[in-house]
Amino acid sequence: MKIFICCKQVPDVAMTIQIKDGKFISEGMNYVLNAYDASCVEESLVLKEKYGAEVTLVLIGDEAGKEALRKGLAMGADNAFHIMDPALNQIGSQAAAKVLQAFFKGRDFDFILTGKQAQDSDMGLAGGILSEMLNLPYVTNAVGLDMADNKVVVRRQGDEGVEVIHMPMPSLITCSNDMNDPRIPSLKGIMASKKKPMEQLSLADLGLSADEVLRESKKSSLKSFSLPPARKSGAKIEGDAQTLVATLMEKLTKEAKVL
Amino acid sequence: MQDSDKFDCIIVGGGVAGLAAAYTLAKANLKILLVERGDWTGAKNVSGGVLWGPTAFDIFPALLNDFSSDCPYERVITHRRLSFMSETSATTFDFKTDNFYKKPYNGIAVLRSRFDKWLGQQVEEAIAESDFAEDSLVATGILVDRLLLEDNKVVGIGAGEDTFSSDCVIIAEGVNSLLTRAVGLQTGYVEAELVGTGIKEVWQFDQEMLEAKFQLEGDKGMSNEFVGCTQGVEGGAFLYTNKDTISLGMVLGLAALREHKKAPHDLLDAFKQHPAIRPILKHGKMVEYSAHVVPVGDIRLVPKKLYMSGAMVVGDAAGLLLNTGKAIEGMNMAMESGRQAAYTVIDAKKRQDYSESFLKSYQERLAETFVLKDMVRFQGAVKFIHNPAMFERYPLFVNTILERAFTVDGKPKKKMTEILPEIIREQNLSYWELLSTAVKGGLNL
Amino acid sequence: MKILVFADQKKGKLKKSSFEVLSEAVRLASACGAEVHAALLGSGVKEQAGVLAHYGAKTVHIVDRPELATYINTPFVTAAAAVIEAVKPRVVLFPTSEGIKDYIPALVQKLDGAGITDCCKIKWTGDGVEIERPLMAAKARSTMESSHSLILLTCRAGSFDTNEPNPAAVAEIVEHAATFTDLKQIFKEVLAANTGKISLDEADIVVAAGRGVRDAEGLKLLEELADVLGAALGSTRAVVESGLVSATLQIGQTGKVINPTLYIGCGVSGAVQHTAGMGNSKVIVAINKDSEAPIFNIADYGLVGDLFKVVPLLIEAVKELKKNS
Ligand SMILES: Cc1cc2nc3c(=O)[nH]c(=O)nc-3n(C[C@H](O)[C@H](O)[C@H](O)COP(=O)(O)OP(=O)(O)OC[C@H]3O[C@@H](n4cnc5c(N)ncnc54)[C@H](O)[C@@H]3O)c2cc1C
Ligand SMILES: Cc1cc2nc3c(=O)[nH]c(=O)nc-3n(C[C@H](O)[C@H](O)[C@H](O)COP(=O)(O)OP(=O)(O)OC[C@H]3O[C@@H](n4cnc5c(N)ncnc54)[C@H](O)[C@@H]3O)c2cc1C
Ligand SMILES: Nc1ncnc2c1ncn2[C@@H]1O[C@H](COP(=O)(O)O)[C@@H](O)[C@H]1O
Repeated sequence: MKIFICCKQVPDVAMTIQIKDGKFISEGMNYVLNAYDASCVEESLVLKEKYGAEVTLVLIGDEAGKEALRKGLAMGADNAFHIMDPALNQIGSQAAAKVLQAFFKGRDFDFILTGKQAQDSDMGLAGGILSEMLNLPYVTNAVGLDMADNKVVVRRQGDEGVEVIHMPMPSLITCSNDMNDPRIPSLKGIMASKKKPMEQLSLADLGLSADEVLRESKKSSLKSFSLPPARKSGAKIEGDAQTLVATLMEKLTKEAKVL
Repeated sequence: MQDSDKFDCIIVGGGVAGLAAAYTLAKANLKILLVERGDWTGAKNVSGGVLWGPTAFDIFPALLNDFSSDCPYERVITHRRLSFMSETSATTFDFKTDNFYKKPYNGIAVLRSRFDKWLGQQVEEAIAESDFAEDSLVATGILVDRLLLEDNKVVGIGAGEDTFSSDCVIIAEGVNSLLTRAVGLQTGYVEAELVGTGIKEVWQFDQEMLEAKFQLEGDKGMSNEFVGCTQGVEGGAFLYTNKDTISLGMVLGLAALREHKKAPHDLLDAFKQHPAIRPILKHGKMVEYSAHVVPVGDIRLVPKKLYMSGAMVVGDAAGLLLNTGKAIEGMNMAMESGRQAAYTVIDAKKRQDYSESFLKSYQERLAETFVLKDMVRFQGAVKFIHNPAMFERYPLFVNTILERAFTVDGKPKKKMTEILPEIIREQNLSYWELLSTAVKGGLNL
Repeated sequence: MKILVFADQKKGKLKKSSFEVLSEAVRLASACGAEVHAALLGSGVKEQAGVLAHYGAKTVHIVDRPELATYINTPFVTAAAAVIEAVKPRVVLFPTSEGIKDYIPALVQKLDGAGITDCCKIKWTGDGVEIERPLMAAKARSTMESSHSLILLTCRAGSFDTNEPNPAAVAEIVEHAATFTDLKQIFKEVLAANTGKISLDEADIVVAAGRGVRDAEGLKLLEELADVLGAALGSTRAVVESGLVSATLQIGQTGKVINPTLYIGCGVSGAVQHTAGMGNSKVIVAINKDSEAPIFNIADYGLVGDLFKVVPLLIEAVKELKKNS
């Protein structure tokens, strides 16, 4: 079985986000493997242990992106492709899908996993767009994955509960981090990752022109960043339980008037 | 395990000490493994402060580059202040010179998460250029939980189920020194009076506002130490300017905190309300808070032996830190000790001798550097500043003198010769005590 | 020019988010002189079409087919594409739901459109739209622009005010046919979920359970509080992970975005991924025994205390209040 995972490197959103003059300040930020993509890696390693598989990572990103790939390899993925090209700076979900389409053209795979969204943009489009481009069936927001009768059995978190969906292969699944807890690479894993194959590809290698990517990028453009309006915290209420409840009821009925 | 997997040296801890050691070894073409428990080197290092002296530039020459962007350090310290505080007043010695703006700089302000990350990249680059580009590595997110011992000789490390062997281990684990203790290099129980608590807040400002507040030009910066602001608890406070933040914090004696029944953050909160500090923080936003143990700089915390068969201990793990009240020197000592340990490994490899008797040369080398020399020479200063009067009575004394001297209240003014005896009487000081303190201070600092 | 809004419904009832989005479409349409159309996909949904007219839809497009009874993306993509191709709108607005999030990417690609999700502000620029949307777990916002010929936007719940409905308004109703072939996924079942009595994304009051509830007994306490308040129960990921509640109750970056009038978090620490989903609640109450918990930074009323002591008293106090009013 051949599993491909699309990975993105994203700023660690747990850190303080700084924005200046409408620009996101990347200096001092730590960059990590998108948590949802890490869940893809974890899930495919479980499948690999169960059924045997080759797990390949694909990332579009700059030089630093190698770190995210290393992380996936250290977890246990077998090999990686790093798509790096000056024309691919700051591409959005639609352009990323276009590049990935070119990457997958002519490649043999059983399924592609992507994150349900990138933690930096929270856009959640690239996976579904890619599958439509490749004419593959897909399911988003998967929280469980298994195989039965040569079909993928996906458990998806839907509006009413967990939906169980069967799909033929090849197909594409976007994963939620509710699927699993990604393993932490062991020291052995980290050491082994240094020797695993990582192939670098440019747009030309993919047979794609910068114009074709630009066409997608131009569909929508990111103008600026800002910080959301700050929420002011009110006073902390301390005391015994009686006091807390009495004060709260007073506030909710008289001040906030929401009860 | 096959011998081909064996490292020349494993470094435990990716703080400044471990990174200096790893870099020196990678540059000398050794096969190394550096293990850091944080997600990246610097991830767990919330401290920051001023890195003093030329050591860092010496070890990492790339620090001398002119950085247009992504500068690993924050500012070059050209402006130093030392303030004596009483509850309501502050008297400050102020020194500014462009002589400190010559490379290698006399002091640079660093934020460790950024600085250590950059040092980590330097190590990675050095590895990539070495013969062991594929075999040497910096592994992060891994906690070393034990050192492997064979016949009282350290032969490697263990992390969970994994073990790795090496000819030698450099222990650079910082102040908690669990591994150092486990192998018996640090013995016994550390008395509370030998360690302190460091707490620090980072406050962010608009960069231009920060530069205006402190009259900073370009990437020049200011460091300010404070005494007398700790409500009688042994210790002091500091304020360093970073690019668009300031580091503000205190280092407080653990035993003294207990004795005075004070909590560090209460003291820091009170300090922030001091009339000399409060206006500084206006328009700022606290973006980070951290607390960490620090050695107080007492030589008694430094193990008698910094080596054993197959291992050496460097940096804070070895208690190598000097705090004379006018500056904390921990990072420079950590880096120098890391480098000296690395030199020792390089020699040991040539001779294929990692025995205790050879690794002893690490301690001998260290004794020749400023690290042990200063630690020995300045013990008097360490004791001097630990004199309780230093945290309360003398700062108050100085401030009272100035307050009276500057007071204009429509009454006939007094001369200094009248003011002095008056205050000495009021504050229960003796001429003899003041004189001897002045002499001691002069001799020791 | 036309603006088309896809309404969302659940078990034969239009969701509140549909009216928010439709109201925003009316505002946007008046800024650019467009005509507002609405669309409704499902099985047995025809009766609801009239209500969409009350909120300003001039024409309501319906695809009412048994294939759309249970959710699966392929038929929804087909049906939505059929309506869009027939109506030819410039801008298409969607509310947000797990179903819509699922089928919108394929739809965007199939129609060669521009897609932007989770918009919380929309402005007409003259030759397209400028939108704002939260990102990085709602710790930042971005402004984006599109002047593409077909723009598909999903809207973040609670970002837009709902207009007063006009019950006299009527709309033309157009039914569309769609050919459903190529059904590649096979829907098997929905695993029963304890979805709570009141739907989380519609509720005015939400009681959220954090890891502090500890076990089933703690959870029961919160269910009781939710009951007396007439509130929906929600939770953090930690509680979902522990198996106490279904993931349909999860609030946050991975879960649902809610914006109730009153949110009461009990034993919730306030991790960014959680606050990403509830930070827009009008009034935030936090009950946490750790006075340093980050949720206190955004709480209007932060109760520092043990939920096991506070919540039982709160239940009694609310009962008392309801009795007297
Ligand atoms: C508030 C405060 C202010 C200070 N101000 C200054 C100042 O202005 N100037 C100055 O020179 N010094 C200052 N210091 C002191 C200085 O921070 C230390 O002396 C210096 O960091 C010591 O470096 P180190 O590399 O030995 O240890 P550390 O920097 O503590 O690094 C140790 C590293 O080892 C890792 N580690 C520990 N155990 C393990 C393990 N088992 N497995 C894997 N990794 C492990 C840790 O995560 C850490 O990264 C200050 C300290 C504090 C607390
Ligand atoms: C990619 C990603 C996506 C995520 N998405 C989501 C998401 O959508 N939603 C979400 O919620 N999380 C999400 N998380 C997880 C999130 O980071 C936190 O781990 C989670 O929100 C913590 O839940 P909690 O507050 O219940 O638990 P904790 O953080 O463990 O907090 C429990 C709190 O309960 C308090 N407490 C304990 N006992 C009591 C008592 N008796 N009385 C009062 N207080 C008590 C404690 O003081 C503590 O503050 C995501 C994480 C990642 C990495
Ligand atoms: N630059 C990229 N390289 C590889 N995969 C990507 C990239 N950007 C997005 N993806 C994949 O698409 C998913 C969703 O991204 P998005 O639609 O941008 O939120 C991610 O979780 C990745 O799996």
